[in-house]
Amino acid sequence: MKITALRLHNVRRFAGRGVAIEGIDDGVNVLSAANEHGKSTSFEALQALFFQPHSGAGKEIRRLQPYSGGNPLVEADILTPEGRFRLTKQFIGGKRATVTDLGSGCLVAQQDEAEQFIAEMVRGGASGPAGLLWVRQGVTGIEERSRSDEEGERRVREGLLTSVQGEVEAITGGRRMSAIMEACADELGRIATPTLRPKAGGAYAAAVDDLERLRATEDKLRREVDDLRSALDRRADAARRLAELEAPEEAMARRVAVTRAEAAIQQARSHGEALRTREAEAALARSRLDAAEKELADYRTSLARVRALGSEFAEAAQRRDVLRQRRGECQAAIDAAAAEAKLAEAGQREASGLLARLDAAMRARQAAEVLQGRRDRLAQAEALRQRLEAAEATLALVALPPDAIDRLQKLEIDIARLRAAEAASLPSVRIDYDEGVAPSVLADGAPLAGGEDRGVADRLVLTLPGIGAMTLRSNRKAGEGDALAKAEAKRRDLLASIGAEDLVAAQRRQAEARTRAAEVERQRIQFDHLAPEGLPALREEVARLEAVAPEAIEVKGDPDAAREALARADRRVEMARNAEREAGPALSRVHEAATEAEASFATVSGEISRLDALLGPEPDRAGRERDLAAAQAERQAAFAILDREVVALRERAPDLSSVEAALQRARSAESAATGEAGRLRETLAGLNGQIRTQSDEAVEETWQETKEALETAEARVRAFETETAVLNRLKTALQDSRSAARDLYLQPVLTELRPLLGMLFDDVTVTFDEKTLLPQAISRNGQEENVDRLSGGMREQLSVLTRLAFARLLARDGRAAPVILDDALVYSDDDRIEKMFDALHRQARDQQIIVFSCRQRAFSRLGGNLLHMVDWQPRG
Amino acid sequence: MVRFIHSSDLHLGKRFGNLPEDLRGRLREARHTVIDRLAARAREHGATAVLLAGDTFDTETPAPDVRRQALAAMRHHAPLRWIVLPGNHDSLQASELWRVLRAEVPDNVVLATEPEPIALEPGVTILPAPCTTRRPGRDLSAWMDATATGEAIRIGLAHGAIRQFSEEAAASDVIAPDRARRAGLDYLALGDWHGGVAVDERTRYSGTPEPDRFKHDEPGRALLVAIEARGATPEVTPVETGSFDWRTAPLHLLPPDDGAAMLPALLPPGPQRRQTLLRVAATGRTTIAARTALEAAIADVAPEFALLDLVSEGLATEIESDDLDLIDRAGALRQAAEALRAESLDAARSAAEREVARAALVRLFSYAQGAGSGAAS
Repeated sequence: MKITALRLHNVRRFAGRGVAIEGIDDGVNVLSAANEHGKSTSFEALQALFFQPHSGAGKEIRRLQPYSGGNPLVEADILTPEGRFRLTKQFIGGKRATVTDLGSGCLVAQQDEAEQFIAEMVRGGASGPAGLLWVRQGVTGIEERSRSDEEGERRVREGLLTSVQGEVEAITGGRRMSAIMEACADELGRIATPTLRPKAGGAYAAAVDDLERLRATEDKLRREVDDLRSALDRRADAARRLAELEAPEEAMARRVAVTRAEAAIQQARSHGEALRTREAEAALARSRLDAAEKELADYRTSLARVRALGSEFAEAAQRRDVLRQRRGECQAAIDAAAAEAKLAEAGQREASGLLARLDAAMRARQAAEVLQGRRDRLAQAEALRQRLEAAEATLALVALPPDAIDRLQKLEIDIARLRAAEAASLPSVRIDYDEGVAPSVLADGAPLAGGEDRGVADRLVLTLPGIGAMTLRSNRKAGEGDALAKAEAKRRDLLASIGAEDLVAAQRRQAEARTRAAEVERQRIQFDHLAPEGLPALREEVARLEAVAPEAIEVKGDPDAAREALARADRRVEMARNAEREAGPALSRVHEAATEAEASFATVSGEISRLDALLGPEPDRAGRERDLAAAQAERQAAFAILDREVVALRERAPDLSSVEAALQRARSAESAATGEAGRLRETLAGLNGQIRTQSDEAVEETWQETKEALETAEARVRAFETETAVLNRLKTALQDSRSAARDLYLQPVLTELRPLLGMLFDDVTVTFDEKTLLPQAISRNGQEENVDRLSGGMREQLSVLTRLAFARLLARDGRAAPVILDDALVYSDDDRIEKMFDALHRQARDQQIIVFSCRQRAFSRLGGNLLHMVDWQPRG
Repeated sequence: MVRFIHSSDLHLGKRFGNLPEDLRGRLREARHTVIDRLAARAREHGATAVLLAGDTFDTETPAPDVRRQALAAMRHHAPLRWIVLPGNHDSLQASELWRVLRAEVPDNVVLATEPEPIALEPGVTILPAPCTTRRPGRDLSAWMDATATGEAIRIGLAHGAIRQFSEEAAASDVIAPDRARRAGLDYLALGDWHGGVAVDERTRYSGTPEPDRFKHDEPGRALLVAIEARGATPEVTPVETGSFDWRTAPLHLLPPDDGAAMLPALLPPGPQRRQTLLRVAATGRTTIAARTALEAAIADVAPEFALLDLVSEGLATEIESDDLDLIDRAGALRQAAEALRAESLDAARSAAEREVARAALVRLFSYAQGAGSGAAS
């Protein structure tokens, strides 16, 4: 189907007037006009024509009516394979719908038949789906729309796909598939959560709960049964034991054992008493015997001692005497040595006194000799000093200033040089006397020698004998001979200052002065030799020596002999002292020994007198010893008797501790039996209570029952687990195969869409929603994005392209339908719009596309058939 | 001449915790009323005593009502005498039970709690071997050999295994199988084994008079024993005492077999069903459809039974391409079914995974059946 013209009258803003869009062509048609020019009105009128029943009064229709009222009229010319038709609908007032065959001009159908004609054309009718593919401003086909619109379009798409790919039912399993999936999901959902856990409130969860509860109960009951069984066992043991304990013969045996042990212990105790008494008596006898023995032994010891001390006493006395004598001898030797030392020391003192005096005399002599020497030197030095002073005075007379000679020589040279220069510059006069003529001419009074030039300084008066006086004048300028005159004046002064007549005399004086200076020097050296530190020092030394000079002493004797005598005396003193030192230790040793001997003598004699007192008078001693021995023997006998008795008693004594232990054991056996019996009765009472209670509760039966129920519950849970797994597996299998089928089903659209997408986007693939058969997600660079997350521009482009793809599919199926875009590219930039138009033009080769747009500038470049609205009045 | 009923393993008070709630009550009640049925059989056949060879009570601590009602029932049947022997479930270790029983016991009930001869009637002596503990660890019947009883008929009464087929699996304390010969017994009445066993002509296990499990697959019976005189061969006749029947019906299937069709032949006639606990033990191989049909058939008839279960661990389900066609011939459903089938046959997967896939496929099959025909389009 193609639309060739659209006319409308009394629609919305065209109150009381109409417009027509004629000459709609194949390919891309563009109606580009500013807002409020009626584009959208045209679009809606077209839509109403195709999709609103003329008899309707719905919102959609009322919207067509202008504010001022009136009856909207819409008319379109279409071209179909069957021919050219004009579709006309008038709404609200004078409702009508007509289809006219433009070829023959015949009215083909009207009212409901016309509606059916139109519906079949757009929705396919018997020949399958056809339709118009709309894209409206802001309606990208992906956003929310009215349910009926949505559903209608979906059916168109589905119908289209079914016609190309086969029945959707057949491919996807359709309603049966849905029913089965629903049943499966339903059954699964009743028992399990989406994560396959037991669902709360479901039978599975109930079974699991049951299982848990039964496990807990079973566990508790098992423990109770164990308790009961153990209680039964313990009661049996306790009863048996109690019966044993309470048997009469056993009790009697225990009693008898105790009585016997008590008697034994009584007997043992009295025996012990007797033994202790005898032991005390024996101990007393023993101590008395010990005393007697000791007394006897002491007496005998003392006797022996006294006898031994007799000889010791004599020895000690003798030794004391010997030592006393030795001590006297030693003392005498020491005294002799001390006297000898004293004598030797006197000799030594005498010898050393003589030697000291001899030394003093010798030192006085030496000092006098030194003093005399100094005095002589002083006298010589003083004389020499006088001579030196005289020589120095003489020298001063002839001495010249040190540079006088040099200066004088220099002046002489200057004068000579000046004179020569003057002689050269001055007018000179020369006379050469004739041979034989005596020089008679006088120059300034003095004869003028012939043959030689004479300079005229200022004026020279030549007296020419015989002739007169001739005056020569040089007429030099004043000062011209000053330098010479100054030099000569200086020489005069110099000579006068040194008192010499001329240079030679000066030089002579200088030589003389040199000679005298040498003489002075020689005398000075001599003086320095005599008095190197000067005369005052020498004088002082002499005075000091005079002051300390000892008085001269005269002593007779030879110093060497005196020194030898002193040495001899020293040796003698030393020998005497050594003898004295040697005797000292001997004396102290003898002294110590003597003291010791005295002490031991005193000791011995003291002990003898003590023992004598102890032993009594000598004659009674033997009798007393006999008495003591007899007493000792008597006591010995008494002790022996008692000791035998004690030994006998001890041998017969019973072991008290073992007797006591036996009693202890017998008693404890008896009391343990009593105690145990008591405890057993208590235990039995407790166990009886417990057992009776639990028996009455039939805990074992309950346990068995619970165990069996538990097994059943476990089996049931396992069955549910299996059921869940099975249902889930089935659900997955169904979902997988249906998705695969859907993909297969949608394949043709995708095939059409792919090249179109390629014109706009790089590397984009689209996934379709199974239900709406519209794009659901796109995948870019492996990144999946939901369509409603995309930008508005991309969404509308995708929407347009999808419709184009469907249109192509239709066209391919031989049922081309126009694609009508009403400001469908509001979000797209110009670049994209151009690309879209490339896509549109590519599409338009076998497809009618009608574009309504307010973007005049953007769309003007796009080519296509430009449409215009012209005024139109319906006929009649 | 003596004539008595030999029974054992009444397990009074057993609660059947693994069975549905309402059935449990009925089973417990049946255990209690077996006392009446034993008494009735005794009267019918002129027996003067009922010998209970152990495990009269299920536990060492039966609920007081169980105990008291049992004693009351026994007293009610006086002068019939009841000889009650402690078994392993109600051994003498349960001293409280026996203490209370001794206190409450009526005159016509004898508690055989001591290993010493009991004169049942003049010229008839019972030699009991009461269980002292749950596992005595020795042959308690040994004492019978050395005990002389003169010319009286000697009847041994014992509880336990003679071989390793005890109810309590690993029993080391076996009763000598030839105890009757060794001790010169005219008859040895044994308990413990819930199915009846004739060990030899003088030694018998009576089995339980009221079955309590599927294991033995026979009705509840007691033995009527008649002994003419000392040394005579006893005449033993089983008598029916059971109220409920516990049965396992084997059903072996091969793919062409229609299990659902074979089922009715396995089921007892109508009125018995209420008293029957039946397990259909299916083995072999079957198709999804046949299996589904069998399950449906069992589910259909189950309410008529006290209990009807299908045990199908041994039954492998084969999935044919026809089965897949029944799900769908093509399209996504068919794809899903193919995927599950491939997974169920994938040897690389674990058995559990394969089983889950297989079960999922069977489930898909049943859903598909419920959702109507798929091949129509």
